[in-house]
Amino acid sequence: MSQSTNPFTQFQTDADRVTADDDRRRFLRTSLRGYQTTRTATQDRFLDYESARIAASDAKWEAIENLDIYLAQFADKLEARGATVHWCNDSEEARNAILEIIKKHDAKSVIKSKCMTTEEIHLNQLLEKEGFEVVESDLGEFIVQLRDEAPYHFVFPAMHLKKEEINTLFQEKLKSINTNDPEELTMVAREVLRQKYLSADIGISGANFGVAETGMISITENEGNARLTTSLPKVHISLMGIEKIIPRLDDLALLLPVLATAGTGQHLTCYNSQLGGPRQEDESDGPIEMHVVLLDNHRTRLLADPEQRDALRCIRCGACLNVCPIFKNVGGHTYGTTYQGPIGSVITPHMRGLKDWKHLSHSSSLCGACSETCPVKIDLHHHLLRNRRNAAGKGQGGIAERFLMLGFTVVMRRPWLYRLAGSLGKVGHVLTKPIHGTRIDPFYAWKKTRDLEDPAKQSFKQYWRARK
Amino acid sequence: MSRDAILGRIREALSVKTDPHVREVANKSSHSLPVLANGPDGRTQAVKEFLPFVGDSLEDHIAAFKILSDKLQTEFIVVPTIEAAKQAIEQMREQHQWERIGIHDHELVQSCVDHLKVEFLNTSSNYSTSELEKCDVGISGCDALIAQTASALVTNHSAGGRALSVLPPHHVVVAESSQMVTTMADGFTIIREKHNEKWPSFISFITGPSRTADIERVLVLGAHGPKKLTIIMISA
Repeated sequence: MSQSTNPFTQFQTDADRVTADDDRRRFLRTSLRGYQTTRTATQDRFLDYESARIAASDAKWEAIENLDIYLAQFADKLEARGATVHWCNDSEEARNAILEIIKKHDAKSVIKSKCMTTEEIHLNQLLEKEGFEVVESDLGEFIVQLRDEAPYHFVFPAMHLKKEEINTLFQEKLKSINTNDPEELTMVAREVLRQKYLSADIGISGANFGVAETGMISITENEGNARLTTSLPKVHISLMGIEKIIPRLDDLALLLPVLATAGTGQHLTCYNSQLGGPRQEDESDGPIEMHVVLLDNHRTRLLADPEQRDALRCIRCGACLNVCPIFKNVGGHTYGTTYQGPIGSVITPHMRGLKDWKHLSHSSSLCGACSETCPVKIDLHHHLLRNRRNAAGKGQGGIAERFLMLGFTVVMRRPWLYRLAGSLGKVGHVLTKPIHGTRIDPFYAWKKTRDLEDPAKQSFKQYWRARK
Repeated sequence: MSRDAILGRIREALSVKTDPHVREVANKSSHSLPVLANGPDGRTQAVKEFLPFVGDSLEDHIAAFKILSDKLQTEFIVVPTIEAAKQAIEQMREQHQWERIGIHDHELVQSCVDHLKVEFLNTSSNYSTSELEKCDVGISGCDALIAQTASALVTNHSAGGRALSVLPPHHVVVAESSQMVTTMADGFTIIREKHNEKWPSFISFITGPSRTADIERVLVLGAHGPKKLTIIMISA
């Protein structure tokens, strides 16, 4: 995943490699089947899941369609309670804002809880370059950080790794004991990270929701690492995309169970915390400063699209990845994006340019499993189609594609040419048989993994004539 | 000002109305929807009518709380009196060899532990985090118990700050049966009324002991927070 290769070439190369790895794919499928089973059971406990979904969807629509009002309200309420809000147009502004806070406090070490937005702005790379120790505390994130890898899945960052690989990694990097037991491995990480919490000067977290009504961020987690990150260090920084806003506190009573159900199949995750400001006068602990860094980074560009602003309602549950046949086969790293799977394929072209990322919308079976599973009813597979249309409309289809479509138009308009092409095709099929699927085959890309049936002796037209 | 720039871009973006077709897809449903009131009440109503049913009576709530607690591996103990709660805690002290206990200024908590002969750390005023880390258990109160999710709802007022309920390896919550409510929305209402809109800086729904399944989806308790969660409810 080097920066220099073009995203499309990287996607193709990685997809080829991963789809050939049967063992790893089987491993992924088994793990996702487990998710499906628990999720279905949890969903069935709802009195009316479909209505809950629509109510959740409505809450997010309301927030997005009145984002200016709710975002301003959120920031004002937070500041009234002593937090500092930083408004950042792009990644660079956000990175600098965070760096400035860290430098101001003369901090040495930073502990982080899971936050995909920090991946989006490549925060760790900058902080490490500046000489700070940055430690990811979520177990999955901690593991991929030790491997110097990007998260594989934005909810299950280390789902591609087997326990034996984690054992080897821990022995190598942490000098840990030799064990393949997930519990013992987890305890190794617990011990290492405990010390980091106690000594860290700065805690950086994300936010799952920003409550406009009360000026609070809401963080959803299972491990307790986000609670420690936001309790122990003297400064708490939360980085949050501007689309995370929800109107009211009571919306959480619906959104939190819906998020957990779709995300992991739990009825509610272990800790759902609402944080509004630093330690207040009458409180005995908590950070003395709280900074909320609001990030645009082209979200307003997506908002300006009246068809696709829908995608800003995403609550990042990851359900669309879990059910996606493409994700199951090409895996998370192949996407080369911060957000993988269908939602990533929809939003990445808006955030990083349609030209370089349009291929993601083509690597889809358009089966609609993503839209069907989305807890806030984002019309994902149609957005993939819209991206394709927009790419073609902007003449970004590529010369080969345009040439092919032109040829197709010419042939389809002339019956004699169509007949001729049909006959030539038959001849061509026979002639290219010896080189089928080899590199010199003109249709190598398509035929290398596919067999082509012999054409019927009689075409439909011939059959129809003869029938009379 | 970046604030004005961002809000300006948002306003400009929203000056074009959302494509009605896209909006409609999001609300399309194969079954007819129950009619809900608009506004915050509608949302609260949604939580009651769509989320899992847990009954109306206290007995129903306790039963639902118990079932989910078992699933979550929360130890949920119902005792008739404060005396019985004290006994239960004394038993736990013996069983787990507690030597240091984190507590806070909370009437119910204090009356449940005053008989224990151990070292106490009170987190209601300035305390040292590393001292709390050495505690075997944190015992706290809560604002409410949520039947629908088997959660204890805490704030830094009801649970002795942010860390007492997450740093020690065992968290014990003491509550009274009058604190049992149906939904998370009911929980917010309680905090709203108690603090009269002057919100605590930390509110959390604690639902089971800390857990992770990041390694091969195998459930492990005590990832970073408490490995054990005990909820003792005193029924009046």
